Amino acid sequence: MHCDSAMSRREMLRRLVAGASGCLLVSVLPSLAGESEKNSKGRKPLYAYAVDTARCIGCCACMRACKAENEVPDGRFRTWIERYRVRANGEVLVDAVIDDGFVFKDDKVPDAVKAFFVPKLCNHCEKSACSQVCPVGATYTSPEGVVLVDQKRCIGCGYCVQACPYGTRYIHPVKHVADKCTLCYHRIMRGMQPACVQSCPRGVRIFGDLNDPESQISMALKQRRFRLLKPEMGTHPRCYYLDLDNEVI
Amino acid sequence: MGVDSEVPDKPLIRPDYRHVYPVGIILIVLIGVALGVRHWLIPETFGQFGFYRGAALEDARDHGMSYVGGAACAECHGDIVAIHDKDAHGGVPCETCHGPGTRHIRDNDITMPVPATREDCLVCHRKLDARPGSFPQVDWQEHFRFLGVADTNTACVQCHSAHEPLFMDRDMRKARLHPLIHQCGDCHLGRTDPTTPRPDSHPQIFQCDYCHPAIAASRDKTSHKKVACSTCHMFVRENSFSGRIVRNADPRFCLLCHRRTPFKSPAGPPMIEWPGHIKDVAGETPDAKRSCTDCHQDNIHDMPTKVKGVPHAL
Repeated sequence: MHCDSAMSRREMLRRLVAGASGCLLVSVLPSLAGESEKNSKGRKPLYAYAVDTARCIGCCACMRACKAENEVPDGRFRTWIERYRVRANGEVLVDAVIDDGFVFKDDKVPDAVKAFFVPKLCNHCEKSACSQVCPVGATYTSPEGVVLVDQKRCIGCGYCVQACPYGTRYIHPVKHVADKCTLCYHRIMRGMQPACVQSCPRGVRIFGDLNDPESQISMALKQRRFRLLKPEMGTHPRCYYLDLDNEVI
Repeated sequence: MGVDSEVPDKPLIRPDYRHVYPVGIILIVLIGVALGVRHWLIPETFGQFGFYRGAALEDARDHGMSYVGGAACAECHGDIVAIHDKDAHGGVPCETCHGPGTRHIRDNDITMPVPATREDCLVCHRKLDARPGSFPQVDWQEHFRFLGVADTNTACVQCHSAHEPLFMDRDMRKARLHPLIHQCGDCHLGRTDPTTPRPDSHPQIFQCDYCHPAIAASRDKTSHKKVACSTCHMFVRENSFSGRIVRNADPRFCLLCHRRTPFKSPAGPPMIEWPGHIKDVAGETPDAKRSCTDCHQDNIHDMPTKVKGVPHAL
């Protein structure tokens, strides 16, 4: 009897171990398969953007390049440069090039104590407000982290234009659909840099893969001080501003 | 209790569901229509990757490129790219000035625009208060006045080649390392004379003449008195502590100011004919390796490291 009971306990333990390892295998197998799929494709990229604001000279080469690359309609901009000038009394003057001449006027603010340029563009937020309000699922985040507009799907209701806290969207005057920066999705998927990054003469704009620890953007974010625009909106932007002044909103 | 037995046997009435059939059929038709409409309205690839049309990714990818990148330019224009890369504009991509290159690559007959007006250069180099102070900015009217340029229609490219604007070598390994912040003793030891002017604030004391007073005094005796040290000794800051000094000894650099051109007036710096000058003065054929300072060091400042008076004949 004693012997029988020992055998059954052993049997029970064996079955327990077998069952547990079976469960473990079942639970691990899918992730193993996933891992192997990931490895075979290489590490999945997560694209992001950084702006080295201290280097910008306001030449607007990025704006010209964006227009030429993406056929942005006149009077609309997917990226633009703001000029901040802070007067001695703390007043902040902000202006931007709003025509297609792409040249900042040489109008001096006599008592400006600090002045600088800030390039702006879609922040490609992780929790983008524009995607959340779209009633037809036309705004979405690509697997690479780029917020895009499906122009065949968009009904041009303009909710996203209102929802974006950064004012980066507009309704295309001809297509009547929402339009915005795509991070030059057609270029980055071919291994090229976005047109604005490619054309910047000062290396202000940095584009790269956050999942690659050796990429220029990963290194910049490790080594430099940076700020996000309107972090209180909870949109988790993926556009990082290096050495940005607190006056910028 | 004979209750059960008292209930008369009634014929069993089977429940009649016929009135439900039309409702059921209508419901089924409606569901079918709804499913059909849903199928018709929702695109095929919707939900493939998330709450969006999967094929939209293809649409976004399927867009032609305008900007080709400098590597493509170098395939045909390698000579220009090589010159361009070593001078001050080395970091500026070709397409920033010349525009997108796709059409030119497809068809060589379509030429690239060559920006040549003064306004084209001033897009980057106009003096603006918001531009970083370290970036070269030009008040063109002041620049013209200093150089005696009488014709106000003169374009920058009439003196400065856009591909090599300063005839400098950007290879910083060849440039001299120069500290920004010294050890205290570098300045304060041996400078205990109370008549030595004290700097108002430390960051501003590192003017060239503070550490190199003999050279500055020598320079002030020459006709180059008004020329700032950094005009010729270009300082490229590398970090908070140091930078590199590029000493520009290329004769073409001196000629930026001193070459005789129709648009300059005698009010500016002395002008010479080039390359006739060497032949006229020294009776030699022009030699690219010759530097103006080989003969003219006395006109610049005292240069203790150079041997004076080396004739061209050597």
